[in-house]
Amino acid sequence: MTEQVTPIGGTQRVQVSPEGLVKVGARPGFFEYARQIWQFRSFIHFDSRSRIATGNSDDALGRIWLVLNPILNGATYFFVFGVLLNTAKGIENFIAYLIIGVFMFRFTTGSITQGARALNNNQSMMRAFNFPRATLPLAVNVRELMSQVIVITTMLVLILAIPPLERITWLWFLLVPVVLVQFLFNLGLSLLLCRIVTRLPDVVNLISFGTRIWLYLSCVFFSLERFENHPGIYQAMQLNPLFCVLDITRDILLYGNVPSLERWAVLGAWTLVLLIVGSIAFWKAEESYNQERA
Amino acid sequence: MTEQNLEQGITQDAPQNDEPGLDRDVAVVVDRVSMTYKVRAKDDEGKRTLRRRALDFIGTATVDVHALKELTFVAHRGESVGVIGTNGSGKSTLMKILTGQINPTSGTVHATSTPVMLGVNAALQPQISGNDNITLGCLAMGMTRRQLEAKRESIIALAGLQDSIHLPLKSYSSGMSARLQFAIATSIDPDILIIDEALNTGDAQFREKTRQHLDSLRGQAGCVFLVSHSLGTIREMCSRVLWIERGELIMDGDPAEVTEQYNSYAGQMGRGRIKRPRQQREALKKQLVKTDVVWSP
Repeated sequence: MTEQVTPIGGTQRVQVSPEGLVKVGARPGFFEYARQIWQFRSFIHFDSRSRIATGNSDDALGRIWLVLNPILNGATYFFVFGVLLNTAKGIENFIAYLIIGVFMFRFTTGSITQGARALNNNQSMMRAFNFPRATLPLAVNVRELMSQVIVITTMLVLILAIPPLERITWLWFLLVPVVLVQFLFNLGLSLLLCRIVTRLPDVVNLISFGTRIWLYLSCVFFSLERFENHPGIYQAMQLNPLFCVLDITRDILLYGNVPSLERWAVLGAWTLVLLIVGSIAFWKAEESYNQERA
Repeated sequence: MTEQNLEQGITQDAPQNDEPGLDRDVAVVVDRVSMTYKVRAKDDEGKRTLRRRALDFIGTATVDVHALKELTFVAHRGESVGVIGTNGSGKSTLMKILTGQINPTSGTVHATSTPVMLGVNAALQPQISGNDNITLGCLAMGMTRRQLEAKRESIIALAGLQDSIHLPLKSYSSGMSARLQFAIATSIDPDILIIDEALNTGDAQFREKTRQHLDSLRGQAGCVFLVSHSLGTIREMCSRVLWIERGELIMDGDPAEVTEQYNSYAGQMGRGRIKRPRQQREALKKQLVKTDVVWSP
């Protein structure tokens, strides 16, 4: 009972030296944060690999869907736009043109829709373990990159197999830097979207609309020449980073042209800006990702 | 606690300092930590302003819930600190703040290393095998590949899953995955350990294994926090007990003394009394020696 306690009260002062102590839950500096992410590279690698291995494990055809999906998508667009609406006018080898559009565009949509949800989809992981949160969107992007290697292989096989046949040139090696730049572009955008989505989950609903409009604006199944008579639109379309990706890839694979410096510059500028803005924005909110939403 | 100790600013369990005034062997410093949650709910009190009504209508109005009021204490190496309190008193919130899982609204936590919460909270992925879950969990805790491979056998042995470790997790029974979770979560050797009622999982055989495993972990760790409703466990394992009630620290001291007070309080509350427990709370708060942390340069 209360009477048994010896009355003391008051305040004791405890002098503590901060030496040897770390602040719990504190956000590290930007470069320290980057170093921590590097230390978790095995985690990123394993996480993306295990997810790619099990992504379609419930489907009867399993991993074949990775390849089948863009093929069916391409077939749908071919039917609707190529056959019904005939947007193919003036495009030689429309099938290859469309295949490149669909297969390359898929890389960005897949990366950013999954990447934006990387934190919201992994709440249980985040509750259980302390790791730099940027590893989650990074793992999603690495996984999409691994899938994209399979998808691109399929794309090349299709281009080589469906007539009119294209010739393999040394330019095809330029595909490697294209994919790497697109990967960095996706990563920057994912980090930025991830930050926004964790603050405002409603934005997830808008992303699928956004990517659809983006698809229609990126010359996936029509050619830029349609807008030659509208200089404003014509100029604006060329500032679209994904249009640049598709145009560069078509130059390399279909037309045997060295891609223009202008396209590389636009794509590179977008990538650099998004990567810087995205990673700083994500890092700034690192502490808040732990906050439980009531 | 004697007058002399108070002047020197050390607690009973700390070894004698060579330099009076400076607290040595500090493991965790909780300095003026408080936590206020914003919860989405309608607020029926207060003024019905237009803004308030609009937010209520969309369903995004928030109400502040004070889970922890300002709280300060220092724990030392070699201490095992029990944390007790009735449901909703803020124990779990405090533990989450200690591990950095949530950030306090105000105040800071400093520790020799980030405290690790043990429980059955390792996140498991149902699609991948038990083995891959071990890999993923250990890498997520920051182990290197080499450390992980050194631990793998002992994790499998502790979980008792030698035969089914290659099967995907969705084929496990809930007891099996709980055991695997526990084994993964306890595979690191933490310096500061928080055990949140983790002792009561699994069948009798596993419970015995858990107890042994936790005992050895406790032996290695520099400082242990044990959150439990079992006063017997607390008395048996702890050298100091913190009692948190309604988000406030109301008692801090000898396990026998604190658990006795707590027992009578919980008994009164259980019988639906209100006045006596409140008086007890007030009296204890007055007797509590508050801690004030001074950071030496």
